[in-house]
Amino acid sequence: MMRSVATYVAALCVVCLALAAGVAEAAEAPPWMHALVGAALPPHDDKANAIQLYSEIRFTVQPNGKMTRLERAAFLILRPDGNIWGNVRLDFDDQSRITALRGWCIPASGKDFVVKERDTIEAALPGVENGELVTDLRARVMRIPAADPGNIVGYEVEQEERPYMLDDTWELQDTVPVREAHYTLHLPAGWDYKAVWFNHGAIAPVASGPGEWSWVATNLPAVRVESHMPPWRGIAAHMVVALVPTARTTPALLTWKDVGVWEQALVRDRDAATPEIRQKVAELSAGKAAKLEQISALAAFVQKDIRYVAIELGIGGYQPHAAGDTFLHRYGDCKDKAALLHAMLGEIGVNSYYVVINTVRGNETTDTPPNLGFNHMILAIQLPPGVATPELLAFYNHPQLGKLLIFDPTDELTPLGRLSGGLQANTGLLVSPDGAELATLPQLRTDTSSINRTATLKLDEKGDLSGDVREVRVGDPASVERYDLRNAAGNDDRIKPVEVRLADSLSDFTILKASVLNLAALDQPFEWHYTLEANHYAKFAGDLMLVRPRVLGSKSSALLETREARENPIEFEGPRLDSDNFEITFPAGYEVDELPAPVDADLGFASYHSRTQAVGHTLRYTRTFEIKGLSVPVARAEELKQFYRVIWTDERRTAVLRPIAH
Amino acid sequence: MPGVFTIFSARAARLALLAWVSCGFGLPCLAADWQPVSAEELQMTSEPGAPKAPAIILYRQIDRDDNGPYEAVYLRIKILTEEGRKYGDVEIPYFPENESVRSIQARSIKPDGTITEFNGQIYDKSLVKGRGARYSAKTFTIPDLRVGSILEYRYRQEMDARYVFDSRWILSAELFTRHAKFSLEPYHQLAMRWSWPYGLPPGTGNPTEKRGTIYLETNNVPAFVAEEWMPPEDLLKYRVEFIYEGSENDEKEQPAYWKHFDKERFRAVGNFVDARRVMETAVAQIIAPGDAPDTKLRKLYARVQQIRNVSYERDKTAAEEKREHLKSIGDVGDVWQRGYGNGEQITWLMLALARAAGFEAEPVEVATRDVYFFDPALMNSRQLNTNVVRVKLNGADVYLDPGAAFTPFGMLPWSETAVQGLLLARDDGSWVATPLPAAAASRVACRADLLLTEADSLEGKLTVTFSGFEAMALRLDERHEDGADRKRYLEKQVEYLVPMAVDVQLRNEPDWDSSSPTLVAAFNLRIPGWAVDAGRRRLAAAALFGAPEAHLFEHPTRQYPVYFRYPHEEDDDIVISLPANLSVASLPKPQTRDLSVLAYTLSVTSHGGALHLQRRLDVNSPIVAAKFYDQVSQFYQFVRTSDEQQIVLEPADRKGKN
Repeated sequence: MMRSVATYVAALCVVCLALAAGVAEAAEAPPWMHALVGAALPPHDDKANAIQLYSEIRFTVQPNGKMTRLERAAFLILRPDGNIWGNVRLDFDDQSRITALRGWCIPASGKDFVVKERDTIEAALPGVENGELVTDLRARVMRIPAADPGNIVGYEVEQEERPYMLDDTWELQDTVPVREAHYTLHLPAGWDYKAVWFNHGAIAPVASGPGEWSWVATNLPAVRVESHMPPWRGIAAHMVVALVPTARTTPALLTWKDVGVWEQALVRDRDAATPEIRQKVAELSAGKAAKLEQISALAAFVQKDIRYVAIELGIGGYQPHAAGDTFLHRYGDCKDKAALLHAMLGEIGVNSYYVVINTVRGNETTDTPPNLGFNHMILAIQLPPGVATPELLAFYNHPQLGKLLIFDPTDELTPLGRLSGGLQANTGLLVSPDGAELATLPQLRTDTSSINRTATLKLDEKGDLSGDVREVRVGDPASVERYDLRNAAGNDDRIKPVEVRLADSLSDFTILKASVLNLAALDQPFEWHYTLEANHYAKFAGDLMLVRPRVLGSKSSALLETREARENPIEFEGPRLDSDNFEITFPAGYEVDELPAPVDADLGFASYHSRTQAVGHTLRYTRTFEIKGLSVPVARAEELKQFYRVIWTDERRTAVLRPIAH
Repeated sequence: MPGVFTIFSARAARLALLAWVSCGFGLPCLAADWQPVSAEELQMTSEPGAPKAPAIILYRQIDRDDNGPYEAVYLRIKILTEEGRKYGDVEIPYFPENESVRSIQARSIKPDGTITEFNGQIYDKSLVKGRGARYSAKTFTIPDLRVGSILEYRYRQEMDARYVFDSRWILSAELFTRHAKFSLEPYHQLAMRWSWPYGLPPGTGNPTEKRGTIYLETNNVPAFVAEEWMPPEDLLKYRVEFIYEGSENDEKEQPAYWKHFDKERFRAVGNFVDARRVMETAVAQIIAPGDAPDTKLRKLYARVQQIRNVSYERDKTAAEEKREHLKSIGDVGDVWQRGYGNGEQITWLMLALARAAGFEAEPVEVATRDVYFFDPALMNSRQLNTNVVRVKLNGADVYLDPGAAFTPFGMLPWSETAVQGLLLARDDGSWVATPLPAAAASRVACRADLLLTEADSLEGKLTVTFSGFEAMALRLDERHEDGADRKRYLEKQVEYLVPMAVDVQLRNEPDWDSSSPTLVAAFNLRIPGWAVDAGRRRLAAAALFGAPEAHLFEHPTRQYPVYFRYPHEEDDDIVISLPANLSVASLPKPQTRDLSVLAYTLSVTSHGGALHLQRRLDVNSPIVAAKFYDQVSQFYQFVRTSDEQQIVLEPADRKGKN
């Protein structure tokens, strides 16, 4: 049918890269790289596969407002895996055109290698897997020859910048140790700047000429990439430089309000209702007297009937398409969906406001200076008085606009009134009539994201276990399941998520029957009901029968079972409150000899409680697992590790049954 | 059933992927018009052959004419779920230097029959662009798609006149296909052979040839679904392969075809190994006249493996290669005197040296079974993608491939075992079968001497001996890495074996660089929480290194064979010393299951305050047919259940009181 694009591109990349580097000319690397040969290295361990010897950024604004950004970097390769630093990828778009690019290698012996721009390849994102059809974001990819241990590789790139926002970011740190990093800002007369530091103490600049300031940092440690860590901007040292042009002759976004006004200008006239939209609103609202019903109908329409397709060219990365077009085509990206829903809500007299946000919590905080580091747009809906119900939880309280219901029309699996974990406690920019302000979205109650399992099971004399399981999911766990089943191509695929989960807990089992409730009804809990049979569940030891009361499901995690001590905070996806209630009836010929001890672990941000009790010939196992805090400081990582070990041990504990003596 | 057919043109001049003739072609033309849409297609909501599928292909037509050359594609898809709407995002990749995509037309049809023609923008997206090569895609999205809609599009992909190449019809698509039609008019100047190596969908007639054009129609082709431990996907898809042959070998019948191939290859190999004087000098340097034949052959093999093998070096840029300026190799004399060659050349050097040392040695060309399941009946000589040497040693045949790095003497890489190969001979080559080593030749043997601490952890020493293919795989994976990486890599092997978090530290320096049959790694091992308390008692699982089997073959059904690749063995022998305050209350019963193809034994004994855990799992066949999947699945369930049996320990004084 369709060719495998990824395969073709991978193959082509190999061909092109080999071809490209083939014409590297025998010329010398520049003096700034040769000056690094033999340089003293910063502290590093034997795991470092390279050292960033030098980096430099020169950001220059010319009197005519033209901006250029020159970036240099050089790495000493220490280990074979360090050869990745010889593969340089530089992203660019129409606002950051590459005007010059070169790469070099200084081998430990022999002549230098040079790679010119014409020897590189330009690549776009292939495929439309995630609905991204067209974008002008591209990358230049360069392979520097001989990126072997002992050799130095480096590159220099110059880009002509036409940013929507007059700022620049200097990222000092890397995933390898940094020996020396420079940043130079050159501004024309009358321009000024403001520097804000993150994850590093402020470094004072040195005035290195008229309108020129330089910063230098040395001996910076590597940032270790760890699972469930905050985003790069949340942990790595960086400086954001906001530029202030002369008397604001150049359009500039200096404040969050400026950004809001700019965003408003972009959506103006794009979120107007067309006759077709009005007709659809009337159709969807017909027969629904309650305003909330009408809002729900419009939200569900945009959520489900508008297919996610992103076409982002130029300003299209920030500006939505006209709501009328989105409605007509029945597709659009997050901005398009937000603009269309805004238009539709307006038709029933409900105001809404755009919220631009980054889907990864921690990229933007209330301390972040104005920037355009957002990648998503959602809506804050101003509910008319008296509309709110207990089911609606995702409110942001605005001092002037009142309670605003936060809704993500792109998220097809989270119902109106709720919010996915990634957006909770996340900071976005609320674009209001007066401009804009940073808003931290609500963190919902833990019980809004949960898995509750109840099982009624029977153990026979052979140790085989059978019975019924009911699994109720709300919030993100429900979304995950609905998404998996949405992709299921057949009945065999449909049952796979349950099979996979059970296989983690049971070695020999069969699902006799299974059914799903509320697969499409987002406002209802998602439910699995299944009947299972697990052979040889109980183990026999002499005349003892050993039964693990925690039949299925695991709350433990190997996240922190790493060789090295954790370096970064741990970020949970969202709040959570899970519970298990299992009843296992065991054979009449047995009685309890020993039961697992109860477990109570509470770290404040997370807790775990379990109990095993015997009532007659029934074992009752109950437990709860709760995540209340979404970010755990690294200082508490060891506590969390021990917490998970306590859970892991509890999950393996066994009740001992013995034959009743006659 | 597989099949093969051939068309031969009287004008076939020579084999060439790029045709030499300049052939003009007419304006693009598409299938006459959109196919009629039936009421059933409009109203259907599911397909019994693909329940719950997000979409199905209602109709697919590919008409290719290599004389144009062009390919006209027509696709009609029914959307059955919201997820299926993604098939409205269309990307048609092509190489702009040689191809163009024209006449794109698309439309959607709602269940009520309302047709919306696509008149939106078609984007020409540059996917990759570099010097001398571009790769682009025509991209568009069909609007207003809903569940129940039908989308269809068609286009014509045109290649320039010098762009004729082997092609294929892949019948097994990502989606269930209700009806599909294919045609191909081969390039008139070249002979073509076509085959359907892995059969055709049930009920599908063989491809037919009518006036020089090949046709195929098929119905109800299931979507291709990947499974764990399956043979290479490509081998399992229904497809028809088209291969242009040339005057080098235009034989129609199988014996004549292979005879012709043998003749060509025998001459080529003969020329390459024809350096007798150099070889005799080399042999004199390597072996002693009094060496036994076995010693002689091993010495030759070991020396040949010391030749720099460029096939296994880090991928270099052309700039590096240009600077190194390795001279091209003309024959085995060059390989020997310059001290380098690729894998194939090094193996032919072995052939030449063995002959010069007086051994009876023959060249054999084989198809590796990691890529092909070779069948001579298909007459596709391009599948013979590697070479080995057969040497007569003390009356027995020994197959050698020293050009495959880290291959111990007497073994071949797993992909070259149990395959058919063509033994090249002057008059007539013959088919031979390479041997398949027994499971014992490729083993992961764990020997541990551990102590159970009062904190329920296990601590002590572990030695893992990887042998045969297991050792080869480790050495190949890590051949470019340094000591720190190799250390971590081995430690991860242990982490993979144990079904719980472990603290493991490598404490020796394994032999990474030789082709020794074994690689021995010694560790300090700590397993926190191995035993878990049950009141006064302590419980622990009977198997320590059973993690690889924890989730194997759990799915109840199977469509394709289980491909283990090669026979292999897991062999654990563990001694666990108990603390003085614990004694054994009960031990699991010994377990045995022998299916011949798969075998498992487990025993736990105790003696003198120590537990002795022994476990062995043999996989004795590289492949098991899907019809035996139930037995395979049940076998692994038995393994898991047995591995989970509990060792029960209790306080030593308690036993005394009893």
